[in-house]
Amino acid sequence: MEFNIDDLPVLFPYPRIYPGIYMCDLKKTLDAGGHCVLEMPSGTGKTITLLSLIVAYQQYYPEHRKLIYCSRTMSEIEKALVELKSLMKFRAERLGHDEEFRGLGLTSRKNLCLHPSVKREKSGSVVDARCRSLTAGFVREKKEKGESVDTCLYHDNLDALEPHNLVPNGVWTLDGILRYGEEHKQCPYFTARRMMQFCNVIIYSYHYLLDPKIAERVSKDLSKDCIVVFDEAHNIDNVCIESLSTDITEDSLRRATRGVQNLQAKISEMEESDQKKLQDEYEKLVEGLRGADEARREDAFMANPVLPDDLLKDAVPGNIRRAEHFVGFLKRFIEYLKTRMKVRQVISETPPSFLAHLKEYTFIEKKPLRFCAERLTSLVRTLELTNIEDYQPLQEVATFATLVATYEKGFLLILEPYESDTAEVPNPVLHFTCLDAAIAIKPVFDRFSSVVITSGTMSPLEMYPKMLGFTTVVQESYAMTLARRSFLPMIVTRGSDQAAISTSFKIRNEPSVVRNYGNLLSEFARITPDGMVVFFPSYLYMESIISMWQGMGILDEVWRYKLILVETPDAQETSLALETYRTACANGRGAVMLCVARGKVSEGIDFDHHFGRTVLCIGVPFQYTESRILKARLEFLRETYRIRENDFLSFDAMRHAAQCLGRVLRGKDDYGIMVLADRRFQKKRAQLPKWINQAMMDADVNMSTDMAVSSARRFLRSMGQAFPADKQDGVSVWTMEHLAAHKEKVERERIVELTLAREKEEAMMVGNRNGGGGGGGGGGGQWVESDYEMDEDDEAEMMALDAV
Amino acid sequence: MPPKPAAPGAPARNLFHPLPIPPSADDMCPVCKTIRYLNRDMEFLINPECYHTMCLNCVNRLFTDGPNQCPYAGCSRTLRRKGFRSAFFGDLAVEREVDVRRRVAAVFNRVEDDFETARDWDNYLQMVEDLTFDLVHGTGEKRGEAEKVLVRWEGEHKGEIERNRRAGREREEQARRRMGLEKDAARERRVAALREVEEERRERAASKEAELDGIAAAPDGRGGVQLKRRGQVVRAVEAAAAATAEVGRLSIRGLKEKGKPRGAEGPYDPFGGVDFAPSRYRLGEGLAHPQVDKYRFDQGHVTGGYSFEEWTARAMYEAFAGLGVFVEDEKEAGIGLSSREIATIASGIAAVGDKMELD
Ligand code: SF4
Ligand SMILES: [Zn+2]
Ligand SMILES: [Zn+2]
Repeated sequence: MEFNIDDLPVLFPYPRIYPGIYMCDLKKTLDAGGHCVLEMPSGTGKTITLLSLIVAYQQYYPEHRKLIYCSRTMSEIEKALVELKSLMKFRAERLGHDEEFRGLGLTSRKNLCLHPSVKREKSGSVVDARCRSLTAGFVREKKEKGESVDTCLYHDNLDALEPHNLVPNGVWTLDGILRYGEEHKQCPYFTARRMMQFCNVIIYSYHYLLDPKIAERVSKDLSKDCIVVFDEAHNIDNVCIESLSTDITEDSLRRATRGVQNLQAKISEMEESDQKKLQDEYEKLVEGLRGADEARREDAFMANPVLPDDLLKDAVPGNIRRAEHFVGFLKRFIEYLKTRMKVRQVISETPPSFLAHLKEYTFIEKKPLRFCAERLTSLVRTLELTNIEDYQPLQEVATFATLVATYEKGFLLILEPYESDTAEVPNPVLHFTCLDAAIAIKPVFDRFSSVVITSGTMSPLEMYPKMLGFTTVVQESYAMTLARRSFLPMIVTRGSDQAAISTSFKIRNEPSVVRNYGNLLSEFARITPDGMVVFFPSYLYMESIISMWQGMGILDEVWRYKLILVETPDAQETSLALETYRTACANGRGAVMLCVARGKVSEGIDFDHHFGRTVLCIGVPFQYTESRILKARLEFLRETYRIRENDFLSFDAMRHAAQCLGRVLRGKDDYGIMVLADRRFQKKRAQLPKWINQAMMDADVNMSTDMAVSSARRFLRSMGQAFPADKQDGVSVWTMEHLAAHKEKVERERIVELTLAREKEEAMMVGNRNGGGGGGGGGGGQWVESDYEMDEDDEAEMMALDAV
Repeated sequence: MPPKPAAPGAPARNLFHPLPIPPSADDMCPVCKTIRYLNRDMEFLINPECYHTMCLNCVNRLFTDGPNQCPYAGCSRTLRRKGFRSAFFGDLAVEREVDVRRRVAAVFNRVEDDFETARDWDNYLQMVEDLTFDLVHGTGEKRGEAEKVLVRWEGEHKGEIERNRRAGREREEQARRRMGLEKDAARERRVAALREVEEERRERAASKEAELDGIAAAPDGRGGVQLKRRGQVVRAVEAAAAATAEVGRLSIRGLKEKGKPRGAEGPYDPFGGVDFAPSRYRLGEGLAHPQVDKYRFDQGHVTGGYSFEEWTARAMYEAFAGLGVFVEDEKEAGIGLSSREIATIASGIAAVGDKMELD
């Protein structure tokens, strides 16, 4: 269908659209140039709505602003690419010609590599490292000189092509580009990387923008007016934090030491054979040239974290300019860390305090430390090392050094000598944790004028601007309009025996609570058709409660109705379990999947249609509050952003709960029951996303198991009735006519509003004229008040009318 | 109610005492061949003369009676008991390098501000680094030369070195003080936040209480049932009050405040407002205790001009002296002492810490 938003013609590839002002708000943001946070119910075609508006915007206005669409997982990226492809096909049909348009997806080398032996490596970082050693600049130089070196054919072939035209126009899904690459013997990864500047739409993972180690190289050429969209962004703060945090263990230090020794050996080797190269590097460093562009090229050797601009202009400090000096410097730093790891007590300290102590014992100053990562990259390049994967741990240490010396605030070092409080054998880990999500994302907000953050579950919305340190133009949560009640959210607070149920620490292991949860599970297993998903707050609790249920015979009861499958921390096992689950749901046996609210399943797996008719959330999924890292973060949030501990914990728990609930509802023809089973949910209801909260009847917020079951029965029966799709028209989806009608209505309302406003104004003028003598209190006051009620739009309109 | 985050924001323990580092099996003294297994508290020492390791027993055995030769075959150094310390680093080469650096840093102590251009500063840094490198890794000749340079530089720049040293110390002092202040402020904010949460909880409990009062007063039978729950609320309120008291006790800092400045009008006070009346206890009139009484009359104790009351007063004074003085806190902002972390970390790692500071 085709319609206009203001003056912008939008082509939408489906005949029906979900009503709402999502598109309008989005356009407003783009027009105004600013950031926005939008919460839109899951399964309502958020992606296609976004894409069709932005593509229309891009094609219509002369700036042709580029779209950068970030998603979390590879499958989501692929999904978005497929949507984009169908959108472009539709546009071509409607417009009668193919537009000058390129859309590309980018993912890691591991997924895009074609090299016969490299692509078989299991770990992503090994693939990266091996690829780099085949494609690095000096390798090519050597080859040109006629030396025999290994290179990658797929990469070399690219050089023969026109650099801005590596693939034809069109939308390339990951699958598509892999096939194209195989056909034309060109590397899909580098094709995508190099074409990024010439694309209209780029779809890739968060990390390419947020992880400072990658962002610099992958995303530096993107211009300021790009439109950046973070989809499924409810966890974006954690992604930011993870991208800047590192853990250092004794083992990694040991391997880093080995790396230093290798470096040392290489240096002496080179000093004998090819002194000139080292000398060249040294001279460059003296001049402060640092080969900045070289290092930042796409095939740069190692990844450096971003540094503040002023640092980039500085020259490398004199005491690490020489290779051997730098190696000694690294060695001292590593030995120092090793000594620190020997302490058998938990220590938490700030970077300045760490630096002070470091300086006292090793005479290492802050400034050379800041240059550590960059200096290492330069050295590795000079030495022309090819087996970079061996230097990974060393690089981690160097990155840590750079970060700790760069940021005084927002980071904390926590040394934990033992894995748990009861452990006897020490296994020290030095956590260098980032506490401030705003640090990683700041460059994105600084650089791009429009950033859209959107997800199905982002309540409360104001939390995000606060935590990420930005301001919004639009900040909106959209409700869902439904032709019939297609999902039934409930809060169960009591068992059938009226005893309160909760997973709060005090009572979670009481037999009565466990039994009540068990009954809840078996009752719902009995009445739910096909698939059912259950979420627990943690693996630990899941394990203990399952074994207790086993003892109580509850699992046997469930077993009569459903197959029982359990998520484990092991990804392979879990995917096997999921496969079995789907088979069992599809063939009518029915199954129940027991998983964890913060696990893999809760984030990325959809349980649409019969794969999930009931989701049962057992307990409020709070984070493990004894974690020192979490405590530090809570303190930081309170100190810096005035977010109270309990507010954050509860926000975090509820977004995970909402995420779990959203798993079963993946579209408007889908239906499902959502059960929140914990007494404490009752008070947290307001923190659920608007679309869930609105659908929750007041009668459903404080139920006992038996009430919930009978209500669910009724719901399922009503869902069993046939419901022709066209009944949804006009209510939960709109066709062209509805849209037109709505538009008309809006316009009519607008006119009424304007006339009213005008009348008001006139009346006010009269009032003012009359009300000089203080006696006009009542009337005059009223008008003045209503003046405040008018918003700016109206005012602008009013002026326009006056001018006419 | 979310689970109460145990003492929200409480930092991980920062203070600690040196704990013995669990032994690894292959710890063995190269001199007497004792293994850790036989002597769990074995401690290894080195002497910066030659950096040869040996156990504390050996050191005591060999060097208590004055200087002696290093027991290592082929090492002819003469060592003294005083020179031994435990090593900070596991890698003794680094230990030695750092010792050299300490010497060099004491002499070459210019800072960036002393230079006109960044280039000069970097060149200076490299010069120092080259020198250090020669001292650490250089062979005979180079090393000797570097030593000479070091000595010469020291002689030539005496005044400057002294000046820089003082400035450096001042800078450190300032940084330390700033860190201390920041930490204090953070602590205060933490306490305030705690109090706020507590207050809120109390308010909530109070309003619930009021509600219950209303119900209890209701004429029908519901009051009796509801009252049962009441005990819990009261307990909660008590707990809350206790917690607040806890918080109150945390900010004991007020004790350290000096006496209020005198008003300009007051009579002249030679002691500048110091009040000698004991504030923490009161001396009773006649202290009677059989154990003490005997001194009152014992000829051996009673001397001319000596009042027994004086003696009890003094005993009491000594018993209470020092309360309200927080050595840790004073150390933090104190002079010549490292900040708390540094002191504690050092002691945690090994006893070396202190010794190194004295160097
Ligand atoms: S250039 Fe491409 S195909 Fe070749 S190794 Fe690297 S990623 Fe694989
Ligand atoms: Zn010995
Ligand atoms: Zn010796």
